[in-house]
Amino acid sequence: MESNESSTSVLVIGAGIAGIEASLLLANAGKKVYLVEKASYFGGNVIKLEEVFPNMECATCMIAPKQQELLQNENIELLTLSQVESVQGSVGDFTVKVKKKARYVDMEACIGCNACFEPCPVEVDNEFEERLNKRKAIYTACAGALPNVPAIDAESCLRFKGEDCQACQEACMFEAIDYDQQDEEIELKVEAILVATGFKPFDLSKTSQYGYKKFDNVYSDVEIERICASNGPTEGQIILRSGEAPTSVAIIHCVGREEEGYCSSVCCMSSIKITHFLKHKLPEIKVTHFYSDLCIPGRAYQGFYEEVRENGVDFIRAMPEEVSKQGKGVVIKYKAEDGKENTLNVDMVILAPALEPENESAKLAQMLGIPQGNGGFFTEKEPDLDSSVDTSQEGIFVAGCAQGPKDIPDTVAQAEASVGKILSLSR
Amino acid sequence: MAKKIGVYVCECGNNIADNVDIDRVIEIVSPMRDVELVEKYRLLCSEDGKEFLKQSIQEHELTHLVVAACSPKQHELTFMNVCVAAGLNPYLFQMANIREQCAWVTTNKEEATEKAIRQIRAAIARVAYQDPLEKKEMEVSPDVLVIGGGIAGIKAGQLLAAPNRKVYLVEKTSSLGGKVKGFEKLFTDMESGSALVEKEIEKLLGNKGVEVFTDSEVDQILGFFGNFEARIVKKPENEEHNLSVGAVVLATGFDLLDISGLSQYGYGKLDDVYTSLEFEAMNVPGGSTDGKVLLKNTKPPQSVAIVHCVGREEKGYCSKVCCMYSLKFAKMLKSQLPDVKVSHLYSDMCIPGKTYQNFYEETKGLGVEFVRSRKTSVVQNGKGVTVKYETEADPNGELTVDMVILVPAMEPCSDTNKLAEMLGIPIDDEGFLAREHQMLAPVGSSVGGIFVVGCAQGPQNISESIVQSEAAAGKILSALVPGRKLELEVKTSEISETFCAGCKLCISVCPYSAITFDEIRRISVVNEALCHGCGVCAAACPSGAASVKNFNSIQIYQEVEELLK
Repeated sequence: MESNESSTSVLVIGAGIAGIEASLLLANAGKKVYLVEKASYFGGNVIKLEEVFPNMECATCMIAPKQQELLQNENIELLTLSQVESVQGSVGDFTVKVKKKARYVDMEACIGCNACFEPCPVEVDNEFEERLNKRKAIYTACAGALPNVPAIDAESCLRFKGEDCQACQEACMFEAIDYDQQDEEIELKVEAILVATGFKPFDLSKTSQYGYKKFDNVYSDVEIERICASNGPTEGQIILRSGEAPTSVAIIHCVGREEEGYCSSVCCMSSIKITHFLKHKLPEIKVTHFYSDLCIPGRAYQGFYEEVRENGVDFIRAMPEEVSKQGKGVVIKYKAEDGKENTLNVDMVILAPALEPENESAKLAQMLGIPQGNGGFFTEKEPDLDSSVDTSQEGIFVAGCAQGPKDIPDTVAQAEASVGKILSLSR
Repeated sequence: MAKKIGVYVCECGNNIADNVDIDRVIEIVSPMRDVELVEKYRLLCSEDGKEFLKQSIQEHELTHLVVAACSPKQHELTFMNVCVAAGLNPYLFQMANIREQCAWVTTNKEEATEKAIRQIRAAIARVAYQDPLEKKEMEVSPDVLVIGGGIAGIKAGQLLAAPNRKVYLVEKTSSLGGKVKGFEKLFTDMESGSALVEKEIEKLLGNKGVEVFTDSEVDQILGFFGNFEARIVKKPENEEHNLSVGAVVLATGFDLLDISGLSQYGYGKLDDVYTSLEFEAMNVPGGSTDGKVLLKNTKPPQSVAIVHCVGREEKGYCSKVCCMYSLKFAKMLKSQLPDVKVSHLYSDMCIPGKTYQNFYEETKGLGVEFVRSRKTSVVQNGKGVTVKYETEADPNGELTVDMVILVPAMEPCSDTNKLAEMLGIPIDDEGFLAREHQMLAPVGSSVGGIFVVGCAQGPQNISESIVQSEAAAGKILSALVPGRKLELEVKTSEISETFCAGCKLCISVCPYSAITFDEIRRISVVNEALCHGCGVCAAACPSGAASVKNFNSIQIYQEVEELLK
């Protein structure tokens, strides 16, 4: 880029859909962008989804072109396995220290052929797949994860436990495995910072009444997303842990809403989406929703809801009191709207948890000097009456679910809005 | 000049070599017409590989290049850059994917080899007919036209205006501020909407780069991203202004659904039945009741029913903000008339996001009643009005109150549709302007450079409207950097003047409004600045006049023929 604007740079924290969108726009305007991502891959929560509501577009296919564009953009430096350690300075002149963990695989030399996976003798639970299957100590998060370069998980790798294993190195035709790679500390000078660290689901182990982790048939919606995914642990086959296909499913909305004290905006729609998926794969399946208030805001969602509902789906306005084991399935106890106690037997229960900000939010908020509000989300400067991307710190912006639960279009809009703010800073 | 096609087969370490018999591939494709040489290489994308390729292209004075390797998604750009470095036009290059589509999809080496041969033959056959294309750039105007002077338009103007970027803000009424100006209180902070808007207008006008046209409407917009010509007509003299801008932001806001057609609510027939906007107006100091909530008989109401979701069924969507502002109404009523009885008749409480539930709890705490009901209607009653409804437990619910506030669905204001028609932007099933991409381009429209923000593109709250304005600003600031040229899509459609019969079918199918009709020559003409190269026109054209560069019929037939041979 010949323009003198390339001398200015921006830090984007989090490479989910918000971080990707903002980085591309900033880079196209001539900014140098450092995109810091804690995982070994980028794409955030969106790449865990098979399809997105309401048009059921394939999520990976939807963002892959943006990811490719990002990887090929010379103005963007994607730092995976990296986390911000400290931030000093003020708008126009921030100094940021980033810790980049060793991948132990040379990003330049590796061509992503995955020949190193098979010989690795270690098998551990695959976190990306919600521990529904196993991965090796050298792994990529899922098929199609980008950048297409595996990482060695030093915590489970035999070599890093002192054993003399070099199975992956021997299998690599490109001399890409580098056991001597070290963690790095990188110092960046940036004029502005965008926080786009996203969300995680409410910790379902904090609830006991729904039998999560107690009964095999009770799943979180993230687990179901992976079971629905064609690149997931069951390759898109809807099956229970027993291997059988469920014939009846109950979806319980608003799990954790009471504890968190807010409505997470997207769970009704995502529950309806899961129903669409179940009905598509298993047309005979009986699906029952337990909900309190159906929240399908905006112009685009009711049509989808009605379409799904027409397929013979039950909506019961009640929050179940208890889920307990019965035979091969579970029984759900609830108080119906007319006040009568009732039960429903199903093969599978799906819990739709509230959304929370990512784990590191508290640390990051403190580092950046941005207060955290309801639920721990980053607080915007002027709640309600102004842009929600400004924070109390000039030059630091927040976009996407780090600011509050929201859907993909609203997340993208905030990312673009932050770009508007950042590009208008330097004039 | 004779064609000299170079074919390079990448072994990809062993990834391709293990499952494709590369020597056999070379043997089969070498005799093909115009093939100068076929070579294999261990890893073409490596630094050594790229250097080898560059030197080989130069040494053999190749005119066309085929690389048989991985997916073009992975390395097409890599090899295009090698072409440029070697002095070869990068569009005279074709990639054959023999890794993901051959070596990796079967364990049968014979099958993989057979498929690889076909794909390479197809690439060779097509590349011989490819045309050298050049990247084009275009001068752009960084200036922006914002249509609509509500909060969304004001905020877009603030962010965009700069010493090197003018913003023209066109407002059809005599003053800026839009709907928010008429809101005495805003949720959740209960601050004054008019005060907020005044502050923002002041900020906007303090900016030298902003020119405001009140009492004005946009009459015509022609052109494309970077170069629009807009004609503004200012009343009452109908004075015309012609503006050149690079982008347009539509921020024309919403109207409430006209509910006089929904007779069950008694609106327009019964006294003391108001719409939400009428209730807002009642609360504005200096208005007809000077900010006091009064019945027609000038007494304050003792009981008020707020009916949610009026017209939701008819419109087919949830208007997103009505639950929240209905709660706000309850708070306003309770603060002005502490003893007033307020009842909400609602179906689902839609209060999405991190902050709204608190507001709901607070409102509940004021002793407000919430009745989850459906099939609501309003009828005259001796003392006041009676709201009839059904609940799960009671099919004949009734509530007699002094005042009813109806909360109608929101729809885009009528001007939006007029503008959409003028600009050729499609309207979606719900009546709003269709987005460029439902998920990933929430403020883009199908016409590049025209952005739709705020309630013009769907019901939303103030903060969301502002975010959308800023999002449009972000997209515009990113693309229209003053002094920089805009790069255009290379593989655009072209229409042959000789073959075009002037049937205009292509114009009707083009999703980007990129084709216009030349009345003098009686042919369709593609605007390269607008064309995305999707090829819909080429498929529709009955005379074969329309085609996409490097995807024309000859190239595709050559390719398909070799694949199927």
